[in-house]
Amino acid sequence: MFNIIIGQYVPGQSVIHRLDPRAKLLAVFLFVIIIFLANNWVTYALAIIFTLLGVFLSKVPVRFIYRGLKPIIIIIIFTFILNVLFTKEGELLVSYGWFHIYEGGLIQAVFISMRLLVIIVATTLLTLTTSPIDITDGLEILLGPLKKIKLPVHEFALMMSIALRFIPTLLEETEKVMKAQSARGSDFTSGSLKSRVKAIIPLLVPLFVGAFKRAEELAMAMEARGYRGDVGRTRLRQLIWSLSDTFLMLVTLFLTAALFILRG
Amino acid sequence: MKTTSLKQTVSVALLSAIAFLIMVFSFPMPLFPVFLTLDFSDVPAIVGTIMFGPVAGIVIEGLKNLLHYLLIGSATGVPVGELANFIAGSLLIVTGTWIYRKRKTTGSLIGGLLFGTVIMTIVMSIANYFIIFPSYAMFLGFGIDQAVAAANAANHSIHNLLTLIVFAVLPFNLLKGIILTVIIIPIYIRLRPRLGAMTLPKVR
Repeated sequence: MFNIIIGQYVPGQSVIHRLDPRAKLLAVFLFVIIIFLANNWVTYALAIIFTLLGVFLSKVPVRFIYRGLKPIIIIIIFTFILNVLFTKEGELLVSYGWFHIYEGGLIQAVFISMRLLVIIVATTLLTLTTSPIDITDGLEILLGPLKKIKLPVHEFALMMSIALRFIPTLLEETEKVMKAQSARGSDFTSGSLKSRVKAIIPLLVPLFVGAFKRAEELAMAMEARGYRGDVGRTRLRQLIWSLSDTFLMLVTLFLTAALFILRG
Repeated sequence: MKTTSLKQTVSVALLSAIAFLIMVFSFPMPLFPVFLTLDFSDVPAIVGTIMFGPVAGIVIEGLKNLLHYLLIGSATGVPVGELANFIAGSLLIVTGTWIYRKRKTTGSLIGGLLFGTVIMTIVMSIANYFIIFPSYAMFLGFGIDQAVAAANAANHSIHNLLTLIVFAVLPFNLLKGIILTVIIIPIYIRLRPRLGAMTLPKVR
């Protein structure tokens, strides 16, 4: 049960890995929006080339991409079949009893599967090549202007970093508590809904108590080291915007323009 | 004031991490469509709300879903499910603890959460009809009619989006709220001595 890997980050030294997280976040965000502009073969081909180029440059082994795709492959197939069967446009290709396949339906099914695939590969690529901490730092700076309207962006990023740091620790603690309760005869993995619900309570209570204790210690340790919020804070990891980041932005903007011009 | 604030911030962060872990181990419910998964990940958010107020609860819900999206990923590549979970959880928490915060007793917590469940069920059914289903349909590219047709094969009383919601989404949210209430009460009773110590200034 605990052999799941939390997080998908694959460390590396490729061009994509070394891009600034801010640039990557902006590019992926824009890309996911503009992919909805694509509506013919040329525009879809452009989007696919853009994604494949990213995958190629990242040098991430394809099996990691595949692993990211695995949970949704069924959804894609399901969507594909639904689109083929229920879109009644264009020429009738196959007809057998109640079973009809139209040309329009087939094309639409291909397009929509492509769109899903491209969106998922692009977002997976972001999390594969950027560590969660980098994403948090990038988000904090990108959302920085929101501080002007009194949104606690810094506190949010701090909480995110702390949560990321303590997920493995808490997972370990959960495992410990589960073992301790199993030794006392508790069963978490089988049984009816009611018995599972019952088993979860003695698991959660020690987890909460431990978290409160840890929070108190951590807050004290942070204050002892002079943490006093956002103002005047210096960073261990500095984000540096380089030429390649500007290049990525330009390419993404160019792609946006191309999709606008070439869409049917 | 400053010390309690930092302690709150850190506690909220750790509660979000617990919520995220619970969310990862969520399991789909029998008899319901797969995208409706039952998890107890709202429990840490409710505990956070009891301790630090509704804003803390909403922050926990938000962080939990953001972590889930970053670390696990979303089925559609776009966090529609995460957004739905965030809205549902926040609604349940804010309305649920609103009654509790007036009279801090176990009874008012039960009443409040059941009231919150009803509110959440109503609002989520409306949101599903107008926002969530249409956006799933947009990102997955099939029309709502097609989704309904697929659901019709499984359950013959479902013949349009409204009946899909009445027969799948509505009972799911009701059941989820009730199970959450059932879980939170014993946890609340056991944690109560500590909750008081954290929120109230030490008088004695």
